[in-house]
Amino acid sequence: MKRALLLSTAICLGASAQAKAAEMAEVLDTYANIAEAAFGDSLTTAKTLQASVDAFVAEPSAENLQAARAAWLASRVPYQQTEVYRFGNAIVDDWEGKVNAWPLDEGLIDYVDGGYGGPSDENEHAVLNVVANPGFTLSGKEIDASEITPKLLAETLHEADGIEANVATGYHAIEFLLWGQDLNGHSAGAGNRSYTDYIQGDACTGGNCDRRAAYLTAATALLVSDLEWMTAQWADGGAGRTALGESEAAGISTMLTGMGSLSYGEQAGERMRLGLMLNDPEEEHDCFSDNTHNSHYYDGLGVQNVYLGEYVRVDGTLVSGPSLSDLVASADAGLDTEMKTKLSTTMMSLGRIKSAAEAGFAYDQMLEQGNTAGEALVMGGVNGLIDQTKTIERIVAKLEIEQIEFEGSDSLDNPTAVFE
Amino acid sequence: MMIRSLTALAFTLLPLAVAAQDHQATNHAVIDEHILPAFETFANATEALKTAAQADCSARSPELLQAYHTGFDAWIAVSHLRFGPTEVEDRAFALAFWPDKKGFTPKSLTGLIKVQNPDGLDPQAFKHVSIAARGFFALEFMLYDEAIAALGAEAYQCALIQTIAADIDANSDAILAEWAGPFSQLMKTPSEDAIYRSESEVTQELFKSLVTGLQFSAEARLGRPLGTFERPRPRRAEARRSERSLRNVVVSLKATRDLAITLAREDEALAVTLGAAFGDSLALAERIKDPAFADLNDPQGRLKVEILQQSVNLLREQLNQTLGPHLGVGEGFNALDGD
Repeated sequence: MKRALLLSTAICLGASAQAKAAEMAEVLDTYANIAEAAFGDSLTTAKTLQASVDAFVAEPSAENLQAARAAWLASRVPYQQTEVYRFGNAIVDDWEGKVNAWPLDEGLIDYVDGGYGGPSDENEHAVLNVVANPGFTLSGKEIDASEITPKLLAETLHEADGIEANVATGYHAIEFLLWGQDLNGHSAGAGNRSYTDYIQGDACTGGNCDRRAAYLTAATALLVSDLEWMTAQWADGGAGRTALGESEAAGISTMLTGMGSLSYGEQAGERMRLGLMLNDPEEEHDCFSDNTHNSHYYDGLGVQNVYLGEYVRVDGTLVSGPSLSDLVASADAGLDTEMKTKLSTTMMSLGRIKSAAEAGFAYDQMLEQGNTAGEALVMGGVNGLIDQTKTIERIVAKLEIEQIEFEGSDSLDNPTAVFE
Repeated sequence: MMIRSLTALAFTLLPLAVAAQDHQATNHAVIDEHILPAFETFANATEALKTAAQADCSARSPELLQAYHTGFDAWIAVSHLRFGPTEVEDRAFALAFWPDKKGFTPKSLTGLIKVQNPDGLDPQAFKHVSIAARGFFALEFMLYDEAIAALGAEAYQCALIQTIAADIDANSDAILAEWAGPFSQLMKTPSEDAIYRSESEVTQELFKSLVTGLQFSAEARLGRPLGTFERPRPRRAEARRSERSLRNVVVSLKATRDLAITLAREDEALAVTLGAAFGDSLALAERIKDPAFADLNDPQGRLKVEILQQSVNLLREQLNQTLGPHLGVGEGFNALDGD
């Protein structure tokens, strides 16, 4: 876990604060319930994806490829809403690289265009091409990749040579295998891999169709099993849920840490602003499928879900309960309104990116140098996220004061005593 | 979304004390004694860099190389102050784009040079070029990278060096102008309907920049080249081509020491303790004789850098446990929270 805890965890609650603790415990219950539901939905939709992939591999056709792509897109909707659980929850943070690592040097997996470049300063395996090579050397070791299995992907290839861009598993590896590279630059259009890349026999394009199919099948199976594991962590007695119960204040801190870290450093910075400043069409999160507008939108929605204590499941049912919003409102109603307003503003800005992209103005077009409309759209999202982080910090400060009031210890009367 | 670094310390904050000190006086002192002089020095140094590039744009010009180093030092000394004027119009990003995990800087520069892109000849047009081709790290490639030099087109490369230097200076002037005028005012007069609502929010911003600066040194400047014991990554060292990797850590430690002491001005004992703690880290840095962290594959060499990293992490922890509570503020969120 990268972030330090923001709120004090060493709090001795007085009798007068028992009610407050109970209220916080209920908020944490809602938080864990949403995690269980959202990871559960990610699992369900990943299983649908797996069924579509199996059907496609068994019978490659344009229609079956399209069905697999549609299943991948649907599976991203609940998963992106879980990203707010990454920061703060060590169990999610330590795991998420397996399923959602990005950006990737896709040449590790399969053939790439000539303009992709070769091995780089950072990564000498950037063009390893496992699909084409049943054997190769990795960090001085001979690797037998004659059979492509989930085990090979997870234990040998993923983050090979300790390099994070060697992404061999997860959503983005599958995305690359379904769409291929997006070679349209700053123009509209996603990756355009042909279904014939999976035809067994003479009609195979791209070479090694059997190994490509084995890779896609293994990567999808691995995604399902990884999501099964994570969903179980949020069931009753699961480690993710249990960790939250250890201290109410630390649990609330985890919620705020996740909201703030995703909003600011990750989404506003790494994923949105950087791509704009580099003017690089591949600096978009779902670059093969051109689904970045949705990726951003549902990340933002996840932050709002956690604050409001509400999540709409993929079957339409609503999971809800006592929320962080309630907790903040009881401490400072004005601050709660401020937070809700800013979350709405962000969602409106992210919604504008989404609606423009769905109407044909692709995210990679927005990133092009000199595209002022695109820049304004993306910066609208960035500014909303930065602004809401400021309010999250105010909430941290506000709740901290509340905590200290419970305590009535040395730290109030004699600030230096605590450190002696 | 890469996996979080596990080297980061997970520490527990003690309850924040109610600040008994005068936020306003502290904030004003930091702005007047730490921030403004550092940005003035930076603006003077980049002016000299621009002039040196105009006079002689050869990558072998001793005057130009000297001006490059002085300018880079001055940037590092303000590089922790990442809020307000540095964040407008992507100025700080355009001054220093690093780490460059996908090699955007050489890629963008090569792209400009190969077609002799006219944007590289005009500082005004250059403002819209990718941040990876701008700033000190781009200039370093132009002055020190053999592959770039081998691209030829000497006249264009010369002009590009001048454009990069002029662009750096324009950014630095713009930052100083805002700091010297409206932004200092804004930070000195917080109010309910302004960006900073209270003196305490201003102090939090200043404290955050201090600990974030140290976090960046520990995780990026030191952590990236360190890699793991089995697989060190010396080629990831910051500004290794001009052998500034260690120097950047030292300059940043000195600058953040100045900020820490100014923030602790109302508690003399604390200021002395913190000054000594920074002194310990600086002494550890002095023991390292390898300016570009090139010999991290050697266990002895590696150990010294690792010890320095630990010491910077401890400094940050110490600040969070002493200075933060003294000021009544927490660390907050920063740009390093992502990947």
